Amino acid sequence: MDTTDRKPGTSLLPLVATWFVLICLTLISPQMGDWLDGQELTQCVVAGIIWVKGSLVARHFIEAEQAHPFIRNVLRFFIAFTPIAIVLTTFFGDTFVRFATL
Amino acid sequence: MISNTANLPVSPVPVATGRVPGNKGIWVGICCEFVEFLVLFIVYFVARAHFPDAFHSGAARLSQTAGIVITLLMVTSSFFIASSVISLRAGRRRQSIMWLIAGLVAALGYPLAKYLEIQWNLAHGIDGQSGIFFTVYYYLTFTHMVHAFWGILGILWVLTRHAFGIYTADEHSGLEALASYWHATDIIWLVIFPFFYVLG
Repeated sequence: MDTTDRKPGTSLLPLVATWFVLICLTLISPQMGDWLDGQELTQCVVAGIIWVKGSLVARHFIEAEQAHPFIRNVLRFFIAFTPIAIVLTTFFGDTFVRFATL
Repeated sequence: MISNTANLPVSPVPVATGRVPGNKGIWVGICCEFVEFLVLFIVYFVARAHFPDAFHSGAARLSQTAGIVITLLMVTSSFFIASSVISLRAGRRRQSIMWLIAGLVAALGYPLAKYLEIQWNLAHGIDGQSGIFFTVYYYLTFTHMVHAFWGILGILWVLTRHAFGIYTADEHSGLEALASYWHATDIIWLVIFPFFYVLG
């Protein structure tokens, strides 16, 4: 993907929209435990919210889509790490405990 | 064997392209920050997997309001600082400074909220000795607080330079570097928040 010809934005509108979505997700996520049945589903939804919020900050605030591929990939990895870890420890918690026991 | 490669046609090798928001130095720092927190996140997952009951009951004892307020402050200050960059890029220098001041004020709300949260914790008998959950909670959140403190100092430095007219619409890499660091610190908090205030 060539990103050289894309100019960084000068409009505040995408930032306002991103901020609004981040605020909504922040206010919604603590209610997840009450709204959803089952611990596993809650953990997966919270993992999804972490990924969406991190991706929004990277995409619209840091402008990661126009950044050097190394920076893009570092951000992608860091943002994906925790949601993946939450899902894995939710479904394979016992296996993880065995691996993580000295 | 000596070969002459001077006249060989150059194959079109795809070159990695894209801009560096801010400067390379700040991204070295951000990568180090990410590595540090990845290690702490692994500590969290190991502790949580070994003591699920402590983490379930511990989250219920913390003030969820404090976690939400800190998250709103971090997200909002991040938005203000991103707006400062965009405004300067569009040539609106005065507006950019105002956004940056707003970002500083929101950022300063974080240590204040943290202080009040700790007072609340202590009043409810929660300290670093209260169990594995709270040990991990204090260690991770205090480490993040230290990183936010560097960010606040950075905002003050950049704001001073901005007020002296050092940044222009064409050259404002210092402001962008600060913004990148603050957004990275924001992303880290967006992970820490559900760790202790949402996931039980």
